[in-house]
Amino acid sequence: MLESFTHLASAFATMATVTTLLNVILATLFGIVIGALPGLTATMGIALLTTLTYKFEPNQAILVLIGCYVGAIYGGSRTAILLNIPGTPANAATTLDGFPLARSGRGGEAMGLATMASVIGTLVGVLALAVVAPILADFALGFGSYEYFWLAIFGIVIAGQMTAFDDPLKGWIAGVLGLLVAMIGQDGLHAHARFTFGSTELAGGIALIPALVGAFGFAEVLSVLRERRAELATRTVGRIWPGFAKLWQYKRTIGRSGVIGTIVGIIPGVGEDIGAWVSYAAARRASAEKEQFGKGSQEGLISAETGNNAAIPGALIPALTLAVPGSAPAAVLLAAMFLHGIRPGPTIMIEQPEFVYGVVWMVVFATLSMGVFGLLLTRPLLLVLRIPRERLMPVVFVLCVIGPYAITQRLFDVWVMLAFGVIGYVLRRMSYPMAPLVLGIILGDLLDKNLRRALMLADGDPTPFLTRPISMVLWVTTAALLVFGMAPVRRALTRLAGMARRRRGARDADQPVQ
Amino acid sequence: MTAMTPARADRLTGIVLAGLGLAVTAGSIVMDRLPERGVDPWSVPGMVPGVLGVVLTLLGAVLALRRPPAAAHAAPPDDAEERRGKRLMWLALGLCLFYALVLVGRLPFWLATILFVFVFTAALERDPADPPARRMRKLAVAALLAVSVGVGVHLLFQELFFVRMP
Repeated sequence: MLESFTHLASAFATMATVTTLLNVILATLFGIVIGALPGLTATMGIALLTTLTYKFEPNQAILVLIGCYVGAIYGGSRTAILLNIPGTPANAATTLDGFPLARSGRGGEAMGLATMASVIGTLVGVLALAVVAPILADFALGFGSYEYFWLAIFGIVIAGQMTAFDDPLKGWIAGVLGLLVAMIGQDGLHAHARFTFGSTELAGGIALIPALVGAFGFAEVLSVLRERRAELATRTVGRIWPGFAKLWQYKRTIGRSGVIGTIVGIIPGVGEDIGAWVSYAAARRASAEKEQFGKGSQEGLISAETGNNAAIPGALIPALTLAVPGSAPAAVLLAAMFLHGIRPGPTIMIEQPEFVYGVVWMVVFATLSMGVFGLLLTRPLLLVLRIPRERLMPVVFVLCVIGPYAITQRLFDVWVMLAFGVIGYVLRRMSYPMAPLVLGIILGDLLDKNLRRALMLADGDPTPFLTRPISMVLWVTTAALLVFGMAPVRRALTRLAGMARRRRGARDADQPVQ
Repeated sequence: MTAMTPARADRLTGIVLAGLGLAVTAGSIVMDRLPERGVDPWSVPGMVPGVLGVVLTLLGAVLALRRPPAAAHAAPPDDAEERRGKRLMWLALGLCLFYALVLVGRLPFWLATILFVFVFTAALERDPADPPARRMRKLAVAALLAVSVGVGVHLLFQELFFVRMP
């Protein structure tokens, strides 16, 4: 315990410099602008910044990326409130109440509440990061190949299910496609070239950053141009400073949403968007003013914005301690950490504990910076929302080309970006989620090595996969998720729930009034 | 030509995915098992891709054969705004591919970028209803943007980060 405080204090001393201040301010501002611009997401912003920061000192590079992450998830709330389109997918739930508030002339109030909810949400998550990360890392030290195999399968199944809730089959397909992409190139045990068709470039495998820039950058350029234009809800926003009494009034909602967002963030591949939706649904269920939800409820807005920002530190917990990202932006962060020689995983608390506590401070600094910018820069951000997409998108595409190229200086990575952009666009049009695909690319190597190692250790005997305690928890949960995700089971459950409701209704009607 | 319904698109995708899964499985079965290196049969390189190929085949088959949700039978909207969006997307896709596959690597990067940004902005902002003065203003903005991006990216990456541009 005392050791944790020492590391925390030492990390603060390392991080509290003028360079940090300057970097965090610029990165958060960049993130807010990226998030506010419709179609540009946190994942894309971080992927592009990774290429701009790869010559930075590791701590400063990761600080810049975290600043961008925190800023972008928050920045998207502006677009959601004023344009009724989520600036990033994480702000979809924010549109439900944010836009009606703006239309009724309370846009400033909505932005103020969204800002404070985002700040508090991130701080709740960061507290969990400081407390849970060391515990999880310690717990994960006991993982063997069997557990890592199930962790990879669990990650793909739950990410597929939660990011495509109406049609989990498509989420699972996206995840398996990601795993297959990871099989291209030399295998991790025997360095044998797989599916390379004689290409030396393919033998190196598909790098994550070009794939991500394609799937989240180029695909988004095409998607944004395909979508309809949106109009600003209001050109005047009024008072933005939030009423603290209002925040206190919704303290339970804020606390609940913060915890839910953090937990959802910890789940592999399930990021801020799901954090917001689950928090929103829970707030609605528990609210005394349910009927106001979707019509301009401040509570609804607060729950969504607390939930999505709390998921950011949540998503960093498994990324740091298991090397399994909790969200798509965290996947890029993970790739950036490897680029900078940081080795996330269960041993990080032994090898680089200061880095984990450094990340805690990075998120705190970025959150404070985000809060200040959010409350002060209302009018300049309104101008950002008016930039025509026809002028913005070519600039974004140029960065998509130069970004992957700058890291390795090979044109092959530009071609990978193009291929993933086109495939990502087509899959997106057909409602396939991108997060399981990305998670699959990351988890592919983990799955491949650990399944084969485990089979070798057990000489092909499947028993240890099923009987070791942690493996058992993981496979039972995975099997339950798969069964409940199947369409016939879901239809049967819906029918059963309907019958139970009708029966209860009939029973209530039969009871004599006292 | 009527647009494809989501149900039909899913069926076709399912067939393609199942085919891909079968191809991956076949490729994994014939993959070298490295007997000369004494590799354990449980750790042969084709083991995991083979399993994943089978899983993809099954998922593709389910997608192709399942009863699609009711909403999936509705044809997508085909109004003027939708057609405009489609046109912009195809135009952007063509320009992006031409820039990345043809111009980059053949022309100096800054020049390729200036040409791309100018043509992209000018083509996508073009509106036949614009009066000549407005059209000229749009072209001037596109030129200014193109030069700024081309020169800016060159200075940032080549001069500051020492990246040898393509």
